[in-house]
Amino acid sequence: MNYELNEEQRIIKESANRFLAESCSTDFVREMAEDEKGFTQEFWSKMAELGWMGLPFPEEVGGAGMSFFDLAIILTEMGYFCAPGPFFSTVVLGGLTVLEAGNDEQKTRILSELAVGNRILTLAWLEEGGSWGPKGINLRAESQGGEFALSGTKLFVPDAHVADTIIVAARTGDAPEEISLFEVDAKASGVGITLLDSFGGDKLCEVIFDNVKVPTENLLGETGGAWPVLNNTLLKAAVGKAAQMDGASQMALKFAVDYVKERVQFGKLIGTFQAVQFHCADMLTYADTIHFMMSHAAWKIAEGLPFEEEASMCKAWVSESHRKLVALSHQVLGGVAFMEEHDLQLYFRRAKAAELAFGDASFHRERVAQSMGL
Amino acid sequence: MDFSFSAEEQELLKEVRSFLKTETSEALFTECGELGHIYGGKEGRKFIKKFASHGWLTPNWPVEYGGLGTSATLAFAIREEMAYVGTPLVFVAAHMAGPTIMHFGSQEMKDKWLLPIARGEVEFCLGYTEPQAGSDLAALSIRAVDKGDYFQLNGQKTFNTHAHVADYHWLGTITDPDAKKYRGMSLMIVDLKSPGIDIRPMVTMAGWQTNELFYDDVVVPKENLVGDLNAGFFYVMHALDYERMFPLATYGSLVDEVAEYARTKIVDGEPLARNPIVRQKLAQMKIELAANRHLYYRLAHMLDHGQVPNYQASMQKLFATEVAQRIANTGMEVLGMFSQLTTDSKWAALAGKTEKFYRTSVVETIYAGTSEVQRGIIALRGLELPRK
Repeated sequence: MNYELNEEQRIIKESANRFLAESCSTDFVREMAEDEKGFTQEFWSKMAELGWMGLPFPEEVGGAGMSFFDLAIILTEMGYFCAPGPFFSTVVLGGLTVLEAGNDEQKTRILSELAVGNRILTLAWLEEGGSWGPKGINLRAESQGGEFALSGTKLFVPDAHVADTIIVAARTGDAPEEISLFEVDAKASGVGITLLDSFGGDKLCEVIFDNVKVPTENLLGETGGAWPVLNNTLLKAAVGKAAQMDGASQMALKFAVDYVKERVQFGKLIGTFQAVQFHCADMLTYADTIHFMMSHAAWKIAEGLPFEEEASMCKAWVSESHRKLVALSHQVLGGVAFMEEHDLQLYFRRAKAAELAFGDASFHRERVAQSMGL
Repeated sequence: MDFSFSAEEQELLKEVRSFLKTETSEALFTECGELGHIYGGKEGRKFIKKFASHGWLTPNWPVEYGGLGTSATLAFAIREEMAYVGTPLVFVAAHMAGPTIMHFGSQEMKDKWLLPIARGEVEFCLGYTEPQAGSDLAALSIRAVDKGDYFQLNGQKTFNTHAHVADYHWLGTITDPDAKKYRGMSLMIVDLKSPGIDIRPMVTMAGWQTNELFYDDVVVPKENLVGDLNAGFFYVMHALDYERMFPLATYGSLVDEVAEYARTKIVDGEPLARNPIVRQKLAQMKIELAANRHLYYRLAHMLDHGQVPNYQASMQKLFATEVAQRIANTGMEVLGMFSQLTTDSKWAALAGKTEKFYRTSVVETIYAGTSEVQRGIIALRGLELPRK
């Protein structure tokens, strides 16, 4: 067993930290949250130059051939700095799904462009029911002489408004798991994208598909065979979100610890008060367990081992612990951090958004219950 | 990072598991339950001597002292296996006194004690707490006076749990009453059969026994002083950093048993395990056990990489014991009305285990450093919060 990053992993972490510390101030984060697009081309291109986009993809398709664990390190640093933009949508939701479902031609074409930062992807999954299960997918893809016609409404599609390609999960049969994946051009006729006002600082969209014609060659994988792929994407995305929460936890903890070492009340540093110390101790306990639960799940994925149970245990634990950690940070910082100008509110918003994404704690606990044979 | 055991570790664990399956008995488990999983009972000694003959009681000790020279990770893993099965689990000699002797004892002391400890032949009783010195260990008052050839001891100890089954007292005693706090305490090994020691039982609400001890002109040979005179507080703190580890697998086995109960118990015409609330609660326990396991093996990792666990040991103790209480409570909730019935009661479920765990779990967050002491250590040492 080894609970520390190895040399190579430490270098990835340090270089990501260095880049984001320079390029991703919280002023920039706030500006991008207000900005319609949500990122700048300059920021995006720099990440691509650093090789982040292609990091988890094989070298044959233009990637760096690194592991999901390495990707999780980058995501952790992005969470630490609240990095904006469609990186998660492109690499985790779009890229990893294409890598698993696509044929060689699709993988090479899509991922080689993705890897150099020239193609933004996202994944259209949820619908009106708000369910992550296969039964929640009711957008129909009808086969009509050499092409499919897609009709229906997708919700909470992250970064669809800036995406080049939307991977769409659509129903191609009546059995619960008869789901197929399609590569759809975001500019295709009949695709209507509306940005949804949302409190989390990320960019969630409604995407209406009105008889959108998709050539058969844009089918990713077998007709009706997409559910296992989607399920893996869900779990990897859950662990990826947990990695962001891991980083965000470190920052929320730092805010509190720095503050209690300088804030004086009753003539003493408030960090000397046991009530405050105990809150801080609990925050560190959350932070450490968050980090290990996430790392274990990411390691399982990276090693090619079965990861279903670890991924769900990770998302359940991290979702709740991160929220509690941020709440303790707010409590310790007092009124100061209730102010809009304090950066903790950025983390507070993202904590809840991350908790809800890709299955909340109850959702994943149910999955753990299933794996326990209950 | 790497979350797997090495091939050698897996191989040895397989042997340990198979031994634990074939060599344990109902009599052993019963005694263990009655003693609160401390080592020293008749059945426990019989079993552990056989177990220790493989080097498994102290696997990470050097071979010359009766160990196998393995990783700390393996030692931690073996303890998890023992906890899951329900063998004796709290070893003062092998896990607390032994390592301190190895670090700070004289060569004579090492030669005399380490092999018998590794073989499971002797058990010690922790002798720290006194009526006025609980969390505040520096407030000890038991006194050892230097009489030239020997020390003469007078005073009182309380909550010394192993005393009625152990052979020796691992005693913290004041040797310089004029010294500043922390600088006048020494550690000594005292034969519990020494004339002048009176051991009186204190029965806990969990059913098992702890003890108070009275020392009246007790004679302790000079050679039984551990390390340097007046350095005891330092040794105790050092030992806590090295030896504070809480395998939670005893409670883990309860989660498995309660899950099995939920799968088979029919309520309102369907298995209890179909109930979404039951599913959520049991899954949460499984998740918390997994989180604890990481804090536990991080300690082993640190030891194996030449680091001294510090706040990390406190965090694992704190987390494990709070999880233990939640598991015990969850067990009571899932079994409902049946959870209250004691072992021999008609209609008892899981042989009355849940109420027993529920009672025992109360002390987990109190002994060996309360949760408040641990949180203080985490804040002060882990986050370097100000003391003044």
